[in-house]
Amino acid sequence: MQSLQIQSLTKKYDGFLLDNVSFSVPQGAVVGLIGENGAGKSTVMKAVQGAVRADKGSILFQGKPIEQLSKEEKQKIGFVQDVTCLPLEMGISMLDKVFSHIFVRWNSDRFFDLCRKFSLPEKKAVKDFSKGMRMKAAIAVALSYDNDLLLLDEPTSGLDPVVRDEILEILYDYMQDGKKAVLISSHISSDLEKLCDYIVYIHEGRVLFDEEKDALLEKFVTFSCEKAALKELDPARVERVLLREYGADVLVRKDCLPQGFGGNRAGLDEIMLFYAKGERLCSDF
Amino acid sequence: MFGLLIKDFFNIRKQIAWYIGMIVMFFVVSLSVRNLTFSASIGLLVTISVPLTALAYEERENWQRFAAASGLGAKTMVAEKYLLGILFALFSSLAYLAVFLFCFENGTTWMEFCFPVCMQFVILSVVLPLVFRYGVERGRTMTVLFVVVLVALFAAGMGLLGDRFSLAAPAVGIAAAVTLFLLVGSFFLSLKIYEKKEF
Repeated sequence: MQSLQIQSLTKKYDGFLLDNVSFSVPQGAVVGLIGENGAGKSTVMKAVQGAVRADKGSILFQGKPIEQLSKEEKQKIGFVQDVTCLPLEMGISMLDKVFSHIFVRWNSDRFFDLCRKFSLPEKKAVKDFSKGMRMKAAIAVALSYDNDLLLLDEPTSGLDPVVRDEILEILYDYMQDGKKAVLISSHISSDLEKLCDYIVYIHEGRVLFDEEKDALLEKFVTFSCEKAALKELDPARVERVLLREYGADVLVRKDCLPQGFGGNRAGLDEIMLFYAKGERLCSDF
Repeated sequence: MFGLLIKDFFNIRKQIAWYIGMIVMFFVVSLSVRNLTFSASIGLLVTISVPLTALAYEERENWQRFAAASGLGAKTMVAEKYLLGILFALFSSLAYLAVFLFCFENGTTWMEFCFPVCMQFVILSVVLPLVFRYGVERGRTMTVLFVVVLVALFAAGMGLLGDRFSLAAPAVGIAAAVTLFLLVGSFFLSLKIYEKKEF
């Protein structure tokens, strides 16, 4: 069953087009959204949250269009945004009082448990929290109102490895019952490689691929060669080429690796780099 | 709605304490010198400043994006800011009423009470759509310009109409009706503006 379905999502801004983006987040799965800055990840996230309106396309949550969701149904989607949106002048207990009147299924005990688990200071206002603490506070809020889908927009960006690891642990816990789903966008590919079941790559507003992570990581290999050696490669078997001063880096499907070349497994960062900056191999090389 | 109200009360509690302190201080000054002007003018300032301050914090904190994602509709978001302004308008009006009754003497008309009270709601009606449309910074500049123009028109109008204005008995009812009409119209305008916004 699909938790979230995004179908032909299109949104036009001056100088940017999110073009017919479609992908799904199955129940029980973590889907990672990757792409360069300005590729359209945040626009997708905002559209799912209802903070921007799509020009075209639809977004279904548990089979129902998001614009038709009641407040209670909408709150089955939890979210953590790239910029912390919590009221900065409030402390933990004030946040609890406010959110208990905003979220229909707010669980104060769970919120205070999470705050204690994250070692969030009870006396300080959110504005005095470190960046990592603010992100943890936002996650504590998102996990305290019993939702079925969690949207995380760059939750680990700018955080040190220890805090990032703690956040990943929290997400593993969230996924334990197998009925929940997570859509996470991040620049930190190592986090996504640890956490995700599927990867959706958005490049210049379009989905370049939407694949199972393990299959994707097994799919490509890279190798380096002299520029002159490119002429000997079959263009149909080469995905992308990155020309360097000293030669060229080549991305190919594992089963298309030319004889005589040793390939290295391509990680998410490399795949992204090749698709963003690389070129297709043609006879001009 | 209640959650949003207590959010604003908690979030701008320091500023609210200042504004309440100013209402009390101007109330005392008005009583001491038996002059309505002090108590009347503070109401105008507080009625605009409280929702404007709350909105400035929301802009800084990206709260409107959070609210949209939490299923809080445009109507709730807009209505709460009007309610916040109205609560402070009523509070300052109560203080002004006490001063007005204390200073009441022969020749005093209810229009002298009604006019500043109505002006609080009129200014609220003009300022909130501007702030929802243009944001707090530009909205604040437009508010200052609006108040300057309004005061100039008021001074000119009073000069021309003189006593006829203050003595007109139906004027109180007309002023109240026009104010209510403006407030309701302003709410629907703000709602329309907010519904088109993206965060």
